[in-house]
Amino acid sequence: MTITGSKGKARDEGAVPSSVALEASGLGHAYKGREVLGSIDFAVRRGEFVCIVGPSGVGQTTLLRCLAGLQRSTRGQVLVKGTAITEPVRGVAVVFQDYSRSLMPWASVRDNVTLPLRANGTPKVEANRIAAESLAQVGLDEHVSDLYPWQLSGGMQQRVAIARALAYGPEVMLMDEPFASVDAQTRADLEDLVRRLQRDLELTVILVTHDIDEAVYLSDRVIALAGKPAHVSDIVDVPLGADRDQIGTKGTPEFAEIRAAVHGLIRRKDDAVS
Amino acid sequence: MSTSPSAVAPATASERAPRPARQPRAGRTRRLVTQLGAVALAFLVWWVASFTLPIGVMPSPVATFVRLGALASVPEFWAAFGTTVATFAAALAFCTVVGIPLGLAIGSSSFATQSTRLVFDFLRTIPPIAILPLVLLTIGANFQMVLTLTILGAIWPILIQSIYAARQGEALLVEMATSYQVPRGWFIRHIFFPGALPFVMTGLRIGTTICLLLTITGELLGGAPGLGFEIADAQAFYDNERMYAYVIVSAALGLLVNAGFYALQRRLLRWHPSVRREDAR
Amino acid sequence: MNKRLLRDLGLEIWLPIVLVVVWWFASASSTSFYFPPLSKIMESFAADWLDPTQAFDNLLPSLALLGMGYGLALVSGVVIGTLFGLVTPLEEAARPVLEFLRAIPGVALLPVFIVLFGIDQPMKVLLIAFGSFWPVFLNTVDGVRGIEPLLLDVAGVFRLGRARRLFSIILPGASPQIFAGARTALAISLIIMVVAETVGGSGGVGYFLLDAQRNFRVQSMWGAIIALGILGYLLNIAFRIIERLVLRWHRLQQARLESNS
Ligand SMILES: Nc1ncnc2c1ncn2[C@@H]1O[C@H](COP(=O)(O)OP(=O)(O)OP(=O)(O)O)[C@@H](O)[C@H]1O
Ligand SMILES: [Mg+2]
Repeated sequence: MTITGSKGKARDEGAVPSSVALEASGLGHAYKGREVLGSIDFAVRRGEFVCIVGPSGVGQTTLLRCLAGLQRSTRGQVLVKGTAITEPVRGVAVVFQDYSRSLMPWASVRDNVTLPLRANGTPKVEANRIAAESLAQVGLDEHVSDLYPWQLSGGMQQRVAIARALAYGPEVMLMDEPFASVDAQTRADLEDLVRRLQRDLELTVILVTHDIDEAVYLSDRVIALAGKPAHVSDIVDVPLGADRDQIGTKGTPEFAEIRAAVHGLIRRKDDAVS
Repeated sequence: MSTSPSAVAPATASERAPRPARQPRAGRTRRLVTQLGAVALAFLVWWVASFTLPIGVMPSPVATFVRLGALASVPEFWAAFGTTVATFAAALAFCTVVGIPLGLAIGSSSFATQSTRLVFDFLRTIPPIAILPLVLLTIGANFQMVLTLTILGAIWPILIQSIYAARQGEALLVEMATSYQVPRGWFIRHIFFPGALPFVMTGLRIGTTICLLLTITGELLGGAPGLGFEIADAQAFYDNERMYAYVIVSAALGLLVNAGFYALQRRLLRWHPSVRREDAR
Repeated sequence: MNKRLLRDLGLEIWLPIVLVVVWWFASASSTSFYFPPLSKIMESFAADWLDPTQAFDNLLPSLALLGMGYGLALVSGVVIGTLFGLVTPLEEAARPVLEFLRAIPGVALLPVFIVLFGIDQPMKVLLIAFGSFWPVFLNTVDGVRGIEPLLLDVAGVFRLGRARRLFSIILPGASPQIFAGARTALAISLIIMVVAETVGGSGGVGYFLLDAQRNFRVQSMWGAIIALGILGYLLNIAFRIIERLVLRWHRLQQARLESNS
């Protein structure tokens, strides 16, 4: 399934079971009795790029950790390719928001990237080869592999984290505010990088962000979360085509329109609650 | 880090205040029950060991505590206890009163810090116990000997941490002086001392532990009166119950000292972000 | 650069030199039995500690004992500490018992250990290990519990096995704390080593000291104090070299954080 394939389709029309990569079904979560996620339902098609937006603290990280199998939800299910999961499964990689904490400070960039490979028993030489490939894919030079991650700039560190996820050979990539702590230019570069990778590798990407521009620019669909406990307030299609660029796409009237729609959605729901 | 004397050890986990229990009531009760269970288990192990091991090696817990109760009504027991506590307190007081001001003074000058570094580093690494024979010969098996030994062993961590503390404060001073115009007195009171305190407390914590260890050691090996002597004496008479009873008293003293120190630290450093951060974790 | 290094060296070395010189001349004409001239002390120091056969006789048993006791403390402290750090309920339940055991001044256990384990090498090894176990253990528990939770998530996502999780994430993450504990433990094991060696007659620095004391050989006692100081100093340097190698990443990272703030 290609991105253009989803273009213009009505929301749930394409969700034929076999093409669904990941699905949340009646997903709810409570921390020590305090409900954070209400009942969340959505399905993400294979090869689709979906962004989840919502106000800060709404529970996006919680949702993502449930999707990844890192957290057992207190209600409902997460299905990966139709099977309910209770722990992280093969094929689902995660890129965390805080690269400075999610990379191992004691390991070189190379060792960070090969971590998932060594975990599944890939021989060292092969692992290093794949790591070099992944680093190249995210646009990092060969010579950084011997450095420690904290010797790199923030943007480069996040590239390393993405390379690590790629080295895992994932079908689904979950990203938690991956560009929240880098400067605007780097952010734009990384956005384009992720979009390009997603298309080239036919990845299914679910990306959490607060930034509505970013969500609209990147995704095929935007899932808006709102409320306490959080629920899916709406799902908006983004029929902007496959070829997007930072200036051109963001300047189109369609973009502005979708953006305004999503914006209103989140604000309205937010106000209604508080 | 370049300003720190190499002898300084960073605060280790065991030197920090314990985290307060911030749990719901149900969790706290459950924890208390498991803790009581663990204590009971420890006594059970002791009790089983007392009759599985060859006779005379380990008295049963009951016998030990009965003996401890009997000891508590004997004046010699309280004399030994009092001597140990007094020696410990006097040594700690001396180390504090001399070590902290001296350390802060030395640390306030980078010349003094660098000059004294090797000397203190060397003196610190001599196991204090090595000078026991010497002080024993020169002073004799008495209170003063133990006091000397204890001071000579425990003053170094306090001194060295205080030097380090002052270096930290001094670094702040340089920074402040270049950015703001602050009167020196105000600076010392509001920036230097609060900034130095956590490091001083770390030194004091290590020093306190060493003080108690050396007090007991000096009495035990040097034959000076006190709890340590009683332990050695009981062993010499193959009186295991008395020996275990005195070891338990030493441990209780250690517990008391630790608890007292935590309380002091929490009081003095309540405001300090590092303690608050530790607590929150 | 070199000039600065030289200046620093000069700054650090002048006082020790002055002190030694003052000691040397002030004590030169000393007739006190307890404070012999430094020249005499150095004579017996050279005889007891610089002559290879003598030095081996005195030092080797001590180093062997220290190595075994300290090694045992390190291994057991890290292993048990990791276990307790990972299994929080276990640590919480055992805390009162552990607090009590740790509060026992290590040397007070000497008579108990003699009764339990005799007066030979195993007793000494165990006594050193018991005394220096606590800093390693407590720091390991704290280090393991303080592991960056996000890294545990990373380990989960990439489905690291138990062993790899332990050796790739948990132990490296706790290593700065473990080293801090190991350094305290080294000082403690040195003290207990000397104490333990005063029991029985298997040689070593502690026995040497006791022997000198019994025979009123004050010069030898002074010499042994100096020798122990040097030994402790060298062990500390060795420790620091290892720490600098193993924790290179940590040192560099801290330096970077400091220069940025
Ligand atoms: N481990 C936890 N235990 C208890 N409460 C938690 C835990 N993790 C998160 N929460 C609470 O759940 C709510 C949602 O947290 P979450 O981190 O999922 O939000 P978020 O949308 O990702 O926030 P942000 O935008 O700031 O990243 C918050 O109120 C938070 O305080
Ligand atoms: Mg979040």
